[in-house]
Amino acid sequence: MDYILNGLWQALGLLVSGDPQTYSAIQVTAITSLLAIVASLGLGVVPGFLLGYADFPGKRAVRTFVDSMLSFPTVVIGLLVYAFISRRGPLGDMGLLYTVPGMVIGLTILGLPIIVALTASAVEHLDARLKPTLLTLGASPWQIVTTTLWETRFGIMLAAMAAFGRVVSEVGIAMIVGGNIKWHTRTITTAIALETSKGEFAMGIALGLVLMVVAFAVNITVSAFRRVSEK
Amino acid sequence: MNAPLYHLRDVTQTHGGRVVLDVPRLDIPAGAIVGITGPNGSGKTTLLRILAFLDRPAGGAVRFQGAATLGRERELRRRVTLMVQNPYLLRRSVRGNVAYGLKVRNVGNIREKTDRALAAVGLDPGRFADRARHELSGGEAQRVALAARLAFEPTVLLLDEPTASLDGESAALVRQAALDARDRLGTSLVVVSHDLGWLTEVSDAVLAMENGRIAGNTP
Repeated sequence: MDYILNGLWQALGLLVSGDPQTYSAIQVTAITSLLAIVASLGLGVVPGFLLGYADFPGKRAVRTFVDSMLSFPTVVIGLLVYAFISRRGPLGDMGLLYTVPGMVIGLTILGLPIIVALTASAVEHLDARLKPTLLTLGASPWQIVTTTLWETRFGIMLAAMAAFGRVVSEVGIAMIVGGNIKWHTRTITTAIALETSKGEFAMGIALGLVLMVVAFAVNITVSAFRRVSEK
Repeated sequence: MNAPLYHLRDVTQTHGGRVVLDVPRLDIPAGAIVGITGPNGSGKTTLLRILAFLDRPAGGAVRFQGAATLGRERELRRRVTLMVQNPYLLRRSVRGNVAYGLKVRNVGNIREKTDRALAAVGLDPGRFADRARHELSGGEAQRVALAARLAFEPTVLLLDEPTASLDGESAALVRQAALDARDRLGTSLVVVSHDLGWLTEVSDAVLAMENGRIAGNTP
């Protein structure tokens, strides 16, 4: 028990003193996660909206595929991205392996199905009276689409926060694609895995505390968005 | 002689192969107040949705201001509007809701027009304009929905049970605002209501519907 309390005490010391290694991992995590969420939103909102709004042949199959992707193991995503961007892979010449952009690609693939599926759900759960209301107010088809998208804004924010929670805490992609390189691609989760295996609990606990605070903040924000979106 | 505002000829509507509306002929003059009454399922709302150009009839023809309407529904919905018993308010402020119809029409002076529309339904713009929809009572929400339609000065205002779920004060304000629109702007009113007393008092004609047909017409 002593070594855990000792580790906790040292962890607080690392955080308070601004330990460069600890803060480097935090910085890499923040950058990769935020870029991945921006990319996931850019790529996922329109397909998610169409999946929830439009009727088309094969819609159910697409929905099932997207929902299945929600539980896709992160190590498998890491493996696939590795296969593509490693030197022998089709994108090997781009030099993305063990880089932040390479990690962002993997994390975007992880976040994308969450954005698509939750945006589609948010659109599907819009009030059925919305479209007739917009028609009776004189909206054109394009104005109906843009207004419907705007009515879904809290649902989309909810999707972004849920995706951020998943991306920030994953370890498989960051480890396989990023390579856990100190000062460059080491994230909170890969640092925790490494430091713990070395018996260095202090940094592991310090980074674990940061991750817990982030997860807590994400959950509080998600709850707040959910309350607002239900009004 | 001026063409009637609406001219319906042999209009039918079907749901699942069953005829739910059968109107051999109906003329509604411009500027008129027409009441529609009848039991639930008698076709009142079905008729109103056709008049609002939300649904095309399965058969027959609808003429508006003397012209055929087939294929012009989108354009006509800018002049004809419908408010239902339990209207939906957008996830934006009261002013945002009232301004929506003006914005989609690219109308200017939005602030002045929304203030006037809110005042017309008895809502003080200073108190209500910035409120969110969840900060409104049922009666206030109904009046905001009516203000959103009055703001763009429609040619026709179709009201489906506009006061059924309102308290006496809100119901009186909704009725008065609709009648003022007719008097001030010449807006034609078609009102579906179970309140036969009010319909008889204010309407130029009251249509009694039954089983999808107009069973009686009280001029």
